[in-house]
Amino acid sequence: MSRRHRWDTIGQLMKRRAEETGARVLVVVSALSGVTNELQALCDDPADEAGTQARIAALVQRHESFCAELGLDAASVLGQRLDALRALGSDPRRAVGELGWQAEVLGQGELLSSTLGVAYLRSQGLDVGWVDSRDWIVARPLPNQTQWSKRLSASCDYVGDAALRARFAAAGPALRIAQGFIARAPDGGTAILGRGGSDTSAAYFGALLGARRVEIWTDVPGMFSANPRAVPDARLLWRLDYEEAQEIATTGAKVLHPRCIHPCREAGVPIWIRDTGRPDMPGTVIDSSATTIPGVKAISSRRGIVLVSMETIGMWQQVGFLSDVFERFKAHGLSIDLIGSSEANVTVSLDPSDNLVNTNVLDALCADLSQVCRVKVIAPCAAITLVGHGMRSLLHKLSDVWAEFGRERVHLISQSSNDLNLTFVVDEGIAEGMLPRLHALLAQSGAMPVTEAAVFGPSWRRIDHPAGARPLPWWQASRDRLLHLAQAGTPRYIYHLPTLRERARELAGIPAIDRRFFALKANPHPLVLRALETEGFGFECVSRGELEHLFRSLPGIAPDRVLFTPSFAPRDEYAAALALGVHVTVDSTTPLLSWPELFKGRAIVLRVDPGFGHGHHEKVRTGGKGAKFGLAAEAVPGFLAAARAAGARIAGLHAHIGSGILDAQHWHTVYAQLAALAEGIGTVGFIDVGGGLGVAYDPDADPFDVAAYSAALAEVKSAYPQYALWVEPGRYLVAEAGALLLRVTQVASKQGLRRVGADGGMNALMRPALYNAWHEIVNLTRFDAPEGDACEVVGPICETGDVIGRQRRLPEATAEGDVLLVGHAGAYGMVMANRYNLRELPHEDVIDD
Amino acid sequence: MTEFDRASIRAFRFTGCGFDADTGEARLAYAFDDGPEMVETLRFPGAPFALDAARADAVQRALRLLHLVAGVSYYKAAVPPEIRIGGEGIDAATAALLTSIYENGLGEFAYRNGLSLRGKIHFPVAAPVGGTSVPMPVGGTSVPMLSGEVPSGLKSLPPYVGLQPGRAMVAIGGGKDSLVSIEALRALGVDQTVAWVGSSPLIKACAERTGLPTLNVTRALSPLLFEINKQGALNGHIPVTAVNSVILAMAALLHGHAQVVFSNERSASYGSLIPGTGEVNHQWSKGWDCERDLAAHLRSHVAADLAYYSLLRPFSELAVARQFARLDRYDQHFSSCNRNFHLLGERPAQRWCGVCPKCHFVFLALASFMPKPRLMAIFGRNLLDEADQAPGFDALLEYRDHKPFECVGEGRESRAAMEALSESPAWREDALVKRYASEIRPQLEPGDRGLAPLLEPSDDHGIPSRLWERLRAHFGS
Repeated sequence: MSRRHRWDTIGQLMKRRAEETGARVLVVVSALSGVTNELQALCDDPADEAGTQARIAALVQRHESFCAELGLDAASVLGQRLDALRALGSDPRRAVGELGWQAEVLGQGELLSSTLGVAYLRSQGLDVGWVDSRDWIVARPLPNQTQWSKRLSASCDYVGDAALRARFAAAGPALRIAQGFIARAPDGGTAILGRGGSDTSAAYFGALLGARRVEIWTDVPGMFSANPRAVPDARLLWRLDYEEAQEIATTGAKVLHPRCIHPCREAGVPIWIRDTGRPDMPGTVIDSSATTIPGVKAISSRRGIVLVSMETIGMWQQVGFLSDVFERFKAHGLSIDLIGSSEANVTVSLDPSDNLVNTNVLDALCADLSQVCRVKVIAPCAAITLVGHGMRSLLHKLSDVWAEFGRERVHLISQSSNDLNLTFVVDEGIAEGMLPRLHALLAQSGAMPVTEAAVFGPSWRRIDHPAGARPLPWWQASRDRLLHLAQAGTPRYIYHLPTLRERARELAGIPAIDRRFFALKANPHPLVLRALETEGFGFECVSRGELEHLFRSLPGIAPDRVLFTPSFAPRDEYAAALALGVHVTVDSTTPLLSWPELFKGRAIVLRVDPGFGHGHHEKVRTGGKGAKFGLAAEAVPGFLAAARAAGARIAGLHAHIGSGILDAQHWHTVYAQLAALAEGIGTVGFIDVGGGLGVAYDPDADPFDVAAYSAALAEVKSAYPQYALWVEPGRYLVAEAGALLLRVTQVASKQGLRRVGADGGMNALMRPALYNAWHEIVNLTRFDAPEGDACEVVGPICETGDVIGRQRRLPEATAEGDVLLVGHAGAYGMVMANRYNLRELPHEDVIDD
Repeated sequence: MTEFDRASIRAFRFTGCGFDADTGEARLAYAFDDGPEMVETLRFPGAPFALDAARADAVQRALRLLHLVAGVSYYKAAVPPEIRIGGEGIDAATAALLTSIYENGLGEFAYRNGLSLRGKIHFPVAAPVGGTSVPMPVGGTSVPMLSGEVPSGLKSLPPYVGLQPGRAMVAIGGGKDSLVSIEALRALGVDQTVAWVGSSPLIKACAERTGLPTLNVTRALSPLLFEINKQGALNGHIPVTAVNSVILAMAALLHGHAQVVFSNERSASYGSLIPGTGEVNHQWSKGWDCERDLAAHLRSHVAADLAYYSLLRPFSELAVARQFARLDRYDQHFSSCNRNFHLLGERPAQRWCGVCPKCHFVFLALASFMPKPRLMAIFGRNLLDEADQAPGFDALLEYRDHKPFECVGEGRESRAAMEALSESPAWREDALVKRYASEIRPQLEPGDRGLAPLLEPSDDHGIPSRLWERLRAHFGS
């Protein structure tokens, strides 16, 4: 409200709405920005007379100068209002901070801004009337309300009738401006609505007047399926019903205060959320739409939750236990959010508040509760909430979500009987960074029906960067060549060396990295190995077979460029690797204790488990207690002693936390942990932070942020310059460079679901069946044909899980003989292919142009 | 350097040191036998320094002391039998101080490496002027020196060099202790510069958060040291606080500050008692013996008006934790964790590893003095409700294990803190508090559990008397 162009926008919108539909338009405004905070400061310290006068003088000055900016004469427009403000400064009620006085003070901001706005828009030629909101919105005291909340957090009547509507229509012109935030108190004075102020006023007016709709104009395009700041893939929600919107607003979304939904819902007035920065974008519509689509509409997370778990110590089926404990929460002014209970235990959640963090209220509550029960405080927790209709019927689709919580501590699960909400309360630490993964899992599993175009709009990423910056994939330019190659037989993997080199050079350009190794398990094709050797990469092998393959493919390679990182390998593999002179990694004390003679006088690499794992699927996380890899940090002293006894020297430390990691901070953390450990060992010369760099399989996803990765590594490197930094990416180098060509065998429909059959499935590419991995699939033969209805793409293997992709919009004309291309198939594709059902292995071609 | 063979090395040599007042760069050089020089460089911000003759001389004396003390990082790589000092040599008092710093400061290092260094470190004393340099062994226990006493062999007492008495160079470490000191000195009206050695983003962030003038001395160890480390040189903890103390003393002289303030508590004076080995103090150079001797030496050998002291010396860790709980501006910035120490992060897990003794102790100590949700916001997890962390907390309580080799409070402090939590309804059901109450508590003497006596300050400290009474009042409840 504090800028002239905002008022111009308001004027234009009022005019446009009136012209479009012939509607009468009432605009509810808030105060100029920062003014309400200043007025609140006046109320917080009413006894400070000098401070009060200074604040009032500053407020007068602020409004006068805005008048000047709008080209208005302050004295004639605001003179009376400013006198009223000054009078409040010398009001006899001020010294004691009387509540009625506070409400009047707090209401001044809106009275001033609305008066200013009306004067300005009139000066621009619009016939705009000024409405005193207190003439229409009347506070209604609630039974349990304190004097404070009756006056400063008031609830109001919102049931209107024809007489009221007629009276309002007659009271002024078609375009009018009213104040948010204020209402008439029962004593005739001013009351304040408190939180959610002007949105709630608009909702009250909408309900009272039976408005065609309430439009909330804000700085985001609407409600999203998750907080877009945390989840860039969060989708704009075009349409919600009141119940869902209420639930989303209550569990985290900041765009709309939950209070303002109820009046509109009762009066059946739709709410539109619109973005002032994108006035032509439709935004979110909240109404009682005829069809409710079941499924998760949004996911949110709240941190800083405190759980209070109460165990009965009294008798079985003790009467009045709940009432005893809830009484005590009330006495300490603590409001309960979630509840879980059994016969012997009641657990409730408290939302974060300053009160909990800065005072001893929790201690006092626990002391009180301990008179009637055994109490335990569980903190810090985070509440993760899924919102949407039909939650109970979705449980089977949530198995990946359950798996994501996995072994972690889930303290409370709450599902309300309105079937709209499922909340998990978990340790706060595990909720960190979990939301993007959960959001992706919900979309993948179909629990969040993102293909319902009537509900799910574009992602925040697309709204924010509409250009769709992805460069053309290499295969698009080579389409004819690929169709030609497919004639020689499918399934067929194609590797594009220029793309491989592009990725390799990207990593070579990171200054903090001293040496780079390719984890050849991802793709051991000899021409791939040769290309990477030329780019300066060394190689990481995990078995004797890989070592032999490497030295066969690249006979001259120096052993110093080779790492051997086996998992539970037999003794002779270590012996063979040591004999070759490559860097050998040991990841438990057992080999040193069992075969000390092997390691005498050798330099070895110690693989440490950083204690946590990350990645796109549980099966690819290689850190933490649940993974078989790496030495736990607390076992390091024992390992050092065994190494000393065996006469082995620890030349390097290694950790690898998993695959598909997009957040560069993970390597930062691991690198720092290893460096701190290395300082205590002394002989360490290099630190190998592994690979795991995420690949953007989805064309809509952002590519891996190499710059952030580089910066995170550089920061640790500068703290520990004495250690050489090694990395060992696999997938990142080869995934994008590979594509799998398949041929369509049959197209069949069953009970309305179209299935496109291909001549290769989990035998050619295991990842979708094994990890639920998502790969782009296109019909290369009909590349330019329009998208058809969603279908399933399946393989020829006799397994229900032989599905390469679900919900794919392949062209309607897709038919036998068409060539399908599966994108980003260069990593863990051919190397994991198998002859299950005795089908032939895929072919491979390498192209270099 | 060719292959590093520790056993064949006979002597550790102090080959020379220098300071360039125009660039602020100090160079400290060392060597083993006739091997290549290992050169460490430090850079003191604020150059060029225009110093009068008296100050320049004092800086030179501080540099010389720094050269000798910082040598411990290199000496320890091989611990050869002989030490040789180039140039004009040192007097008996200096030799005694260095012997004490090396012997005691390398205590844990020796224990970890299975070495015995007691009585084997000999700093040669130069003969009085005109004589020849002969090695003169000096005993290995600390030799307290009172200020004003004329050390034997010194040509003359160091002069007052005109430092500003109201200004303090205060060491900041990113943990709770130095922040408590800084806020206490702020409350007492002392004019401070907060200073640290090395490049730690976390310390930098905390220093900036204080809003006070900052000074960051950078220190680069000789790259040769890392080379010989890779080749199997001995490694382990060195008395780093002694080194940093002398670095900041030199910085104080350069900037005209008369006080050098550290934040070591009473508990730093106590080591771990290890059966068959005796007391080994991981943090000896943070202890009172080291502070007292170094302070006396700085006055008697460097500058008579330079005061070096630890502001928290009379206080227990618990008293400091209570004081920290009264501040609130550093919750989301500080970390006392030694594992994630060099790094900065907005998430608690980036600042606190949650599994090291420092994390355990600071968590336990703060738990007694702040609302549980506030502590949770600092750490991001509840360490006392993680059953598998029992061995770590047992070590703090000196139950079934010796005190860990880390800078943590005394066992009785941990026991008193745990006792207090076992009385608190908000804490007593947490896994490790419950375990304490049922398993450990019954084995303790009732007199060994009280918290209040541990909050009382004690008398051994070097805090200037004009500050002490006010400081004591500031810490009072």
